[in-house]
Amino acid sequence: MVIDFSTIDAEQLATLVCETLAKNDVEAVLVGGACVTIYSENRYQSHDLDFATYHDLNKVGSVLKKLGFERKGKYFARADCSFFIDLVNPPIAVGEEPVKKFERLKSALGTLVLLTPVDCVKDRLAAYFHWNDRQALEQALLVSAHCSVDLEEIKEWSRKEGHLFKYKEFLDRFSNN
Amino acid sequence: MLEYLFANKNVEKILYFLFLHGKCHASELSKCFDSALDPIQKTLLKLEWGGLLVSFSEGKTRIFEWNPRYPFLKEVQNLSKKMGEFLPEEIKERYYLSTKRKRPRKTGKPL
Repeated sequence: MVIDFSTIDAEQLATLVCETLAKNDVEAVLVGGACVTIYSENRYQSHDLDFATYHDLNKVGSVLKKLGFERKGKYFARADCSFFIDLVNPPIAVGEEPVKKFERLKSALGTLVLLTPVDCVKDRLAAYFHWNDRQALEQALLVSAHCSVDLEEIKEWSRKEGHLFKYKEFLDRFSNN
Repeated sequence: MLEYLFANKNVEKILYFLFLHGKCHASELSKCFDSALDPIQKTLLKLEWGGLLVSFSEGKTRIFEWNPRYPFLKEVQNLSKKMGEFLPEEIKERYYLSTKRKRPRKTGKPL
């Protein structure tokens, strides 16, 4: 299959990267804003594909090179692609809660392993809770509007994080949308 | 004290400094500990890369602080606190307990 990296979208590239890494025995999970892009069906655009992996930066780099991505400091890029790939140090967590269950999206390009919609919402809400980042709140709302998420689970997680008040603001916004 | 664990003499200094002050920037630490700027900058970036710290730009300065989303934050902060309890008082006074003014001061008032 010929890939045009100048027109590829976030989900396609993330799948291609995840599949290529997996074929080379590198397990990686897509986290961060790109999950919002995928779950919101591109209503939010992130050009930063963050992968969490326990593998060595050099090993990951050698696999990404096969896709034409060159290391630029801590991230990887290729000249004809608007996305860049960043590696996130594990563990994968949303606040104090470790994440052990992931979503697997299958397509012709392979399997993409990423945060589940509910963990993606928690991940965005964590940024809102701790830094009052309104963009992160909007992203959490976008994902919640496009995917089925367990609001009780998010409420309980917010309580443990000590941010029930801000959860209520999220819930009010969600209910009024 | 824990250099052998961190394999880096700047890590424990940065952790205890952050425990006391909440945030820092590289030149402040370099001045405070009377040590070269470059290794301190590299250590801060390493801690940011690991997820323990986050940074924000304030003017031309990059400010580092604890990452509230880091899953082992409480444990690292407790370790930092305990390290401080074992530091000699004269070291604490000389290097960590800055007399720099932290409360606000109205613009235009003489320093």
